[in-house]
Amino acid sequence: MARKPAPALAGLLAVESLRLGQSAVDRDDAIRQVGAALRDSGAVDDSYVEAMLERERSVSTYVGEGIAIPHATFAGSDAVRRDALAIVQFPAGVDWDGHDVRVCVGIAAQGNGHIALLSQLATVLLARDNAATLCAATSPQQVLGLLRPKHSK
Amino acid sequence: MPERTVSVASSIGLHARPAALFSQAAAKAGVPVTITNAAGKTVNAASILGVLSLGVDHGDQVTIAADGEGADAALDILAQLLGRDLDKE
Repeated sequence: MARKPAPALAGLLAVESLRLGQSAVDRDDAIRQVGAALRDSGAVDDSYVEAMLERERSVSTYVGEGIAIPHATFAGSDAVRRDALAIVQFPAGVDWDGHDVRVCVGIAAQGNGHIALLSQLATVLLARDNAATLCAATSPQQVLGLLRPKHSK
Repeated sequence: MPERTVSVASSIGLHARPAALFSQAAAKAGVPVTITNAAGKTVNAASILGVLSLGVDHGDQVTIAADGEGADAALDILAQLLGRDLDKE
């Protein structure tokens, strides 16, 4: 890969940005919670959360397997202080335009860092059972275990 | 198998909105479509997660392929989609 190596996913997830067993009344509430999880770690400004909501109205970030990956586009990049991930789990599910979402993974990246970050994240989620494990995780260790590369290819 | 190699025109690459629109179109193609990045990784084009995992940036070349009745027509539509800046639409 000629591009700059993507940072390890686990290292981008601050302790305060991982929230298991939450509940949300609707999609926007879920996005606000994910945005707050990013903001509380100091990764983004408040305006990033609004940019996430706006982006979601334009096109859904539901990616299948019960997972949505809300994030802002370039318009929101100025509000990003450092690359980060947030994971908020909703065991009772959230109605996401007709899809049942159990986990929201919020991402914030500077410049076009979204691409490498999304690629890494999607690769992890595609690997066998990882998405289901994330939806059912009951401890932070389980989640961090998924995000740590077993081996690089 | 019919295939098309195109460079991705979307200014932000093939993720977010462009990836979602492309995957939706691939899912409606009527034939199974695969997409392969420059590194040779191949995924189901109808899977948003699969497409995201390719990490395709603006200007990168990708190859889409499909087999079966209507494959050529489906590939023409999808290739045309990749050749537009989907983020601006």
